[in-house]
Amino acid sequence: MTKPHELDPVTPRLAARDVSVFYGDKRAIDNVSIDIADEYVTAFIGPSGCGKSTFLRSFNRMNDTIAGARVEGSIALDGEDIYKSGMDVVQLRARVGMVFQKPNPFPKTIYENVAYGPRIHGLSSNKAELDEVVERSLQRAGLWDEVKDRLSDSGTALSGGQQQRLCIARAIAVDPEVILMDEPCSALDPIATAKIEELISELRGKYAIVIVTHSMQQAARVSQRTAFFHLGKIVEYGKTSEIFTNPREERTKDYITGRYG
Amino acid sequence: MNSTHQQRIAARLASRHGAERRFRALGFFSVALSALVLGFLLFTILRNGIPGLDWGFLTASDATDPAKVGIWGALKGSMMTMVVTLALAFPVGVFAAVYLEEFAPKNRWTELIEVSINNLAAVPSIIFGLLGLAVFLALFPNWRSAPLIGGMTLALMTMPVIVISGRNAIKAVPPSIRDAALAIGASPVQTVFHHVLPLALPGILTGTIIGMARALGETAPLLMIGMKAFVATPPEGFTSPSSVLPVQIFLWSDEIDRGFVERTSAAIIVLLAFLLVMNGVAIYLRNRFENRW
Repeated sequence: MTKPHELDPVTPRLAARDVSVFYGDKRAIDNVSIDIADEYVTAFIGPSGCGKSTFLRSFNRMNDTIAGARVEGSIALDGEDIYKSGMDVVQLRARVGMVFQKPNPFPKTIYENVAYGPRIHGLSSNKAELDEVVERSLQRAGLWDEVKDRLSDSGTALSGGQQQRLCIARAIAVDPEVILMDEPCSALDPIATAKIEELISELRGKYAIVIVTHSMQQAARVSQRTAFFHLGKIVEYGKTSEIFTNPREERTKDYITGRYG
Repeated sequence: MNSTHQQRIAARLASRHGAERRFRALGFFSVALSALVLGFLLFTILRNGIPGLDWGFLTASDATDPAKVGIWGALKGSMMTMVVTLALAFPVGVFAAVYLEEFAPKNRWTELIEVSINNLAAVPSIIFGLLGLAVFLALFPNWRSAPLIGGMTLALMTMPVIVISGRNAIKAVPPSIRDAALAIGASPVQTVFHHVLPLALPGILTGTIIGMARALGETAPLLMIGMKAFVATPPEGFTSPSSVLPVQIFLWSDEIDRGFVERTSAAIIVLLAFLLVMNGVAIYLRNRFENRW
């Protein structure tokens, strides 16, 4: 077993061990081991095609939906291997939420978007409870004040930034333990991006957050832990402040200073 | 940009604009031609048929005397046949499309099934009539000429059309919607029924309209299963002998008596009206689902 990249003596929420992901014969992730703790926002950075999104999608088994994709190794969520046989993927995804690169609200009302998760999982027993969950989730996502008078409008009628916050509200409505974010701001303008980043900082501590980002500034702003991926491997994993000011590896330094990527 | 460039562009402009005008004229001519044909058809049918279209015609059934014939028996037969066709072809077609598109593994077997369904949609309708004769009538010999057997035969013909259009409609639903639903913990079946199917429904309905319209106008396969019999009473149930509109039109057009010319045209008007009502309902449903969000 490769030595896991671990920093903190805390119990990890997610522990990946010797994880490799294949697309057909192509190895996109090569023997990666990493611990991810609750307390922090963890950023995955690296050049395009380095496998960081692929790796992120293996935490909620979204790679299962891609024909020909295969995951080896183990990923433990609270000590339980999510790739063991008999693992309930539906339950896993209720515990590990995801926000995608392009905002993808359902073409339904704003209310329905947020209520959908709690409804299918049977989390609230009556309408009043569901209303409360919707309001709380939208508030946490910083969207409530903007949409409280138009909950029955279509989610797709919102602006891009609002749509992405709606997607975050939708994810937190089922009260997950982990939220995965796959370049959540890459389709947004700078103002909307700032709002999402602010939101990520507010959500920190309530959920373990893992964010894949192309923007090193963003990683530096929102995360406390950063993993630098290159060619399917983690080159360096450490405190964000140290990675950006004093990287141990030459390759990390080159990437951060813009030599490649 | 220098002046030689400008001259070259100017020299070509006239022919470019000419091509534009010629294409528009060609397009307009094509539209006008099809509209003209349709107009001529409607005009002739209406002129010949309107005098024959009265309450007696709409309530009576087939007879030997052209003064006493009516269309109600064939109309009711067509309606019942369409109900059977829709009830069989729609659910089977939609479920087959969903399964092939969302759940079936992509391998040689599913490819074979896909090719077969595409071929099935192109099989001449008379073949389906033979199938109905050989299979359905062999199983249920007492139901000769019945709307149930007619509907089953036409369902075989309509189903592949619904499968093909359904698959295309399902394919057109953006994958990001599936990702969103799966990532929140929806099961694959929930993802399909809560998100994919509602979004694909307008497209599926369009395919269903086309398939049903074709089935409504179909004569050949119904001749094979005996729906050309002389039936002087409207069908009482799905298993009683009946005629259908296109076959009735076909039979009357063959009569020697001059009185039937008017009746044939009147029957065509009824068939066209039925078609319009059916399409109208389908378009209404489609728009309703499209406007839901």
